[in-house]
Amino acid sequence: MPREPHLLESRPLTRDDAALALLTAHVRAQTFVVIPVFNEGAVIGEVLDQLVQHFPNVVCVDDGSSDGTWEALKSHAPHALRHLVNRGQGAALQTGTEYALRCGALRIAHFDADGQHRIEDLERMVAAVARGDCDIALGDRFAGNAASVPLGRRMVLRAAVVFHRIVSGIALNDVHNGLRVFSRAAAERIEMTADRMAHASELIDLIAQSQLRVLQLPVTIRYTEYSRAKGQSWTGGFRILFHYLVGRALD
Amino acid sequence: MTPFQIFLVVVLASGMVAVVICLSKGLIGRLAATCAAAVCAAGIAFAIEPNWTTSIAHRLGISRGTDLLLYLLVLTVLYGFLLIYLKLRRVRRELTLLVREIAIREAERKSPAPQQPPDSAQ
Repeated sequence: MPREPHLLESRPLTRDDAALALLTAHVRAQTFVVIPVFNEGAVIGEVLDQLVQHFPNVVCVDDGSSDGTWEALKSHAPHALRHLVNRGQGAALQTGTEYALRCGALRIAHFDADGQHRIEDLERMVAAVARGDCDIALGDRFAGNAASVPLGRRMVLRAAVVFHRIVSGIALNDVHNGLRVFSRAAAERIEMTADRMAHASELIDLIAQSQLRVLQLPVTIRYTEYSRAKGQSWTGGFRILFHYLVGRALD
Repeated sequence: MTPFQIFLVVVLASGMVAVVICLSKGLIGRLAATCAAAVCAAGIAFAIEPNWTTSIAHRLGISRGTDLLLYLLVLTVLYGFLLIYLKLRRVRRELTLLVREIAIREAERKSPAPQQPPDSAQ
């Protein structure tokens, strides 16, 4: 039986003007948005230009790209970090998170580099954490406009949800959504050690083991040709599963 | 002894010498050195007297000495793979921590202070 003592009830997708009014310039500046970037030179500049208009402290971690991404980050990102060698998305997220904590961030958001996340969704999630509604806000694409989720992707993600209900004991609706917001206290308590894509599963375990309050908020994922090409394949899913299970067994 | 037996004894004896050198230089621990030396010693004994493997195999309910050696080899290789994998995980973890620290220090050295809003109101 999945245990969910700290899992708050999901909210419907509505425009919350009161919550958005909370997002003063100060709140936005205290929120650091961490973006792991690997060979995203084609889109990262546009994504950053839009994002920094809403959140001035965007931390981009170039994970050893070889396509000119670093040059784009140097000219577009307020905070650009670079892994000398590729260490994986999980490692890049943890690097950005630790940097943001050292900078004094009060809230830390995870955001994807390929432009599939919407800034308005991020704003609602930041507002929920800033208001103290929860310690962690997780994006839930199935509570939002799920029609855009490709069938194959939907099946894999649903299987992951069932898997984590059994293995991790937490009943989340969308376990591999890259849009997340943490309070500072939550980010300090959750340290991901899975370097590559298995970090998303590890994160679910860490959340399940913590006593942090989690709120799932509806988000819409924009599936473009570009983001689909960058997404995980079926074989990638099995590789993630392998790394996750090995990590659970050995760590 | 056949030429191959002589070759095998020389190789295994060299392995034993290498174990002793590694132990004296502190490259391996006593337990690992003892295990490696025991494997080399057993290998030398079985190379000199191959029938011993058959008699041990019979006592263990295995028909042939070569089968016993094969099973032991498989177990040893699997154990070796596990040790190497664990070592590799540790090294990867340390590499990540190193890469992370370099990235953060470089950013702190180059980047401006976090941007603050013009007003101080919350």
